[in-house]
Amino acid sequence: MYKIMIVDDAQFMRVRLSKLLTGHGYEVVEAENGEQAVQTYRSIKPDAVLMDVTMPEKDGLEALAEIRGYDNQAKVVMLTALGQESMVLQAVQAGAKDYVVKPFDPDRVLRALQKALG
Amino acid sequence: MNVQFLNPFIEAAFAVLDAEVGVTAKRGQLSLQRSAATASEVTVLISMVGQVKGVVLYGLSEATALQIVAKILGQSFAEFDDLAQSGISEMGNVITGQAGQRLAEAGFESNISPPTMIVGKGTLISTLDFERLQVPLETELGTIQIHLALRESINGTVSHPLPIGGA
Ligand SMILES: [Mg+2]
Repeated sequence: MYKIMIVDDAQFMRVRLSKLLTGHGYEVVEAENGEQAVQTYRSIKPDAVLMDVTMPEKDGLEALAEIRGYDNQAKVVMLTALGQESMVLQAVQAGAKDYVVKPFDPDRVLRALQKALG
Repeated sequence: MNVQFLNPFIEAAFAVLDAEVGVTAKRGQLSLQRSAATASEVTVLISMVGQVKGVVLYGLSEATALQIVAKILGQSFAEFDDLAQSGISEMGNVITGQAGQRLAEAGFESNISPPTMIVGKGTLISTLDFERLQVPLETELGTIQIHLALRESINGTVSHPLPIGGA
């Protein structure tokens, strides 16, 4: 069973995404900011990450860079309200596998994860 | 306040309410506000930095907020608890993010802060004491007030904005 780390500062989003992913046979761990995401990644080593961008402590782009610095095989899919090209470009350059813009389509999120997991 | 910044927010709010809540919104009368006290039971504050700079607020009643989160999550809420509050904060985040994308397409790059939630009508927030444009969006679940206090800052750098101090 694949283990997915959901990173989002909004508890509401973590609950929604947990329901979606556990309903599709994934195991889920949660982190509520970029700092926690980096620490949890190191200790749990999830198979893939769903990463928000706008968060306190450390944002998702910084957390992405740190996680990819620690594990250059890390499979990170961004899931954020920020859809401008400059943000997408930054994330892809930092090694994001995919970029999904909120409001999200559940199937789009599932496909992005499947693709990232290979 | 630059009025050209208004439409991206209205369009973004319409799109998000339609996609997430399944309701159609209608735009009401514009007005100017200046008060350091919150005018709604529930207020979400988000700051923007970059080539558009300032503050965005979303105000609504608790009853409207509860119906919105219930629709999105598909479960009813008895009270405006942490989960419901984070749902409304997140809606503010998504509307503002979508507006930011539209602003970027119009040539204004920006970034947004995480949302700050303020529960309670008449809560005094010193950082709120500036003139802002207010536009009500009427929906079948109640009214959402959008307040904008934004200005163009053409040399503004897109860094990481801090949440604005509420509670
Ligand atoms: Mg967020």
